[in-house]
Amino acid sequence: MSSPESNNAKQEYDSLYAKRKEIYPREVHGIFASWRVAMVALTLGLYYILPWINWGEGRQALLFDLPNRKFNIFMLTLWPQDLIYLSALLIISALALFLFTTVGGRLWCGYACPQTVWTEVFLWIERKVEGSRPQQMKLAKSPWNMNKIIRKGGKHVIWILFSLWTGFTFVGYFTPIRELVQAVPGWDMGPWESFWIFFYAFATYGNAGWLREQVCIYMCPYARFQSVMFDNNTLIISYDEKRGDPRGTRKRGTDKPTDKGDCIDCSLCVQACPTGIDIRDGLQYQCIACAACIDACDDVMEKMDYEPGLIRYTTLNEISGKGLHIFRPRVYLYSSILIGLILAMSWSLFTRIPVSLDVNRDRNILYREAANGDLENVFKLKIMNQDSKAHKFVITMEGLAGSVLDPDEKEISAASGETANTLVRVRASEDVIKDRSTNITIKVTAIDDEKLTDEEDARFIAPADWFQ
Amino acid sequence: MSDKEEIPKIQRVVAVLWPSFLTSGVAMIIFYWIFSPEELFPELIASGVGNMAIYSVSFLFLWLTTLASCLLSCYFLRPCNRCND
Repeated sequence: MSSPESNNAKQEYDSLYAKRKEIYPREVHGIFASWRVAMVALTLGLYYILPWINWGEGRQALLFDLPNRKFNIFMLTLWPQDLIYLSALLIISALALFLFTTVGGRLWCGYACPQTVWTEVFLWIERKVEGSRPQQMKLAKSPWNMNKIIRKGGKHVIWILFSLWTGFTFVGYFTPIRELVQAVPGWDMGPWESFWIFFYAFATYGNAGWLREQVCIYMCPYARFQSVMFDNNTLIISYDEKRGDPRGTRKRGTDKPTDKGDCIDCSLCVQACPTGIDIRDGLQYQCIACAACIDACDDVMEKMDYEPGLIRYTTLNEISGKGLHIFRPRVYLYSSILIGLILAMSWSLFTRIPVSLDVNRDRNILYREAANGDLENVFKLKIMNQDSKAHKFVITMEGLAGSVLDPDEKEISAASGETANTLVRVRASEDVIKDRSTNITIKVTAIDDEKLTDEEDARFIAPADWFQ
Repeated sequence: MSDKEEIPKIQRVVAVLWPSFLTSGVAMIIFYWIFSPEELFPELIASGVGNMAIYSVSFLFLWLTTLASCLLSCYFLRPCNRCND
């Protein structure tokens, strides 16, 4: 039984759920808006075009071929054992993000984050169908009539179609996109391809159409630890309180009131903000540094005949009169580690030997006796040709004197980016086997290029009772 | 945490769905980096089940598992004084 007091408390608590206010960001024009449009075109252009580009012998330039466990990245083919490069790439990306953030704040969020660029496209579609910010707000308040159904419905239809194309492109990075597109008319793609197309389309539609700024606020880990990367010399978007306050409205064309600052309190900076904050309240973790407020404010300043830059990219030090220091120890440190890592990875990538051998013992039997009484061990070989052309390989073995190597194929060929599988039998007579387990080394070498070679250790096993 | 600092519903939903998605993604990469479906499920592969299906089902299963653990964390984080309501 709950008491009336606790019921009251419960009601109060329910009403304290932060109810999300719908945000209708006002469209802005200006230098930063142009930069963002350019970045949207660049990042999304790359996203939608890249899987269609072919490289070399008609293979897809960027294909994360999960079924065959290999990644085609232009001239490179990476295999599971190359995960180190993927890890290095991730570390380099993280460090680059640290460096950019230390210098320029959340540049990533404002211009390059998928959430931002896709939301930007969704907002653009919304504006084309529903009109400007006031028109959207009016439409939202109006009762459901034909116009509202057509506009709202039309917007969602376009959003969904665009999301499906996005999902299709995403799957095209994992399944050859040219085969995928041929399967679309007859809906012939595999069930899992279809599932992931819809999954990614749904995620795009949900994140860019519905969740929007909530993704940045609730889902983004980067936003939460921005303070770790920021210092007083980091460029942030900031309102110049000394110049702007006290704020107040005034008539255009009249002289500046002596008791007021430059901020005319028009609230356009708030209306332009895609995360719905007031930049004049200071640096907030919700700020994605899109600079829409700068564009909006500069426009107003120009109309008022005031200097632009009441809201601007600045640093805490600059705003308090200590000047701008972009180059500082932290920046040098991040840059040198970053350059070092990039050089090391490139050196390692370009000097790597593009063949790799994987030796596995035949799991069914440890050893067996051959017809002539010799002891035989069977190994499965996987030869991965990571080179950009086909090679023929020869298999050799060292480590067990007096033994014979009997491969299934004397010479084995593997096309570029392909794996060749074969069996080899290592045979030895009882008198040369000195131990229960002898280490041997199996080696493959390309016939046309001796430098193209790899070896792996294996163990030749003999019956335990021979050595008792 | 006081009752007044209530967490929005969307934040709770996201706190269950999103970290589980991320961690299962990372776990998937590490797991299938070490093991290949051919080694783990030779019978399935032989019967014509593709790698894509194995990867997908593994991922969804992992996600479901991590999602369940996030859900439980979320449940146990409920302030204790509210259990008497």
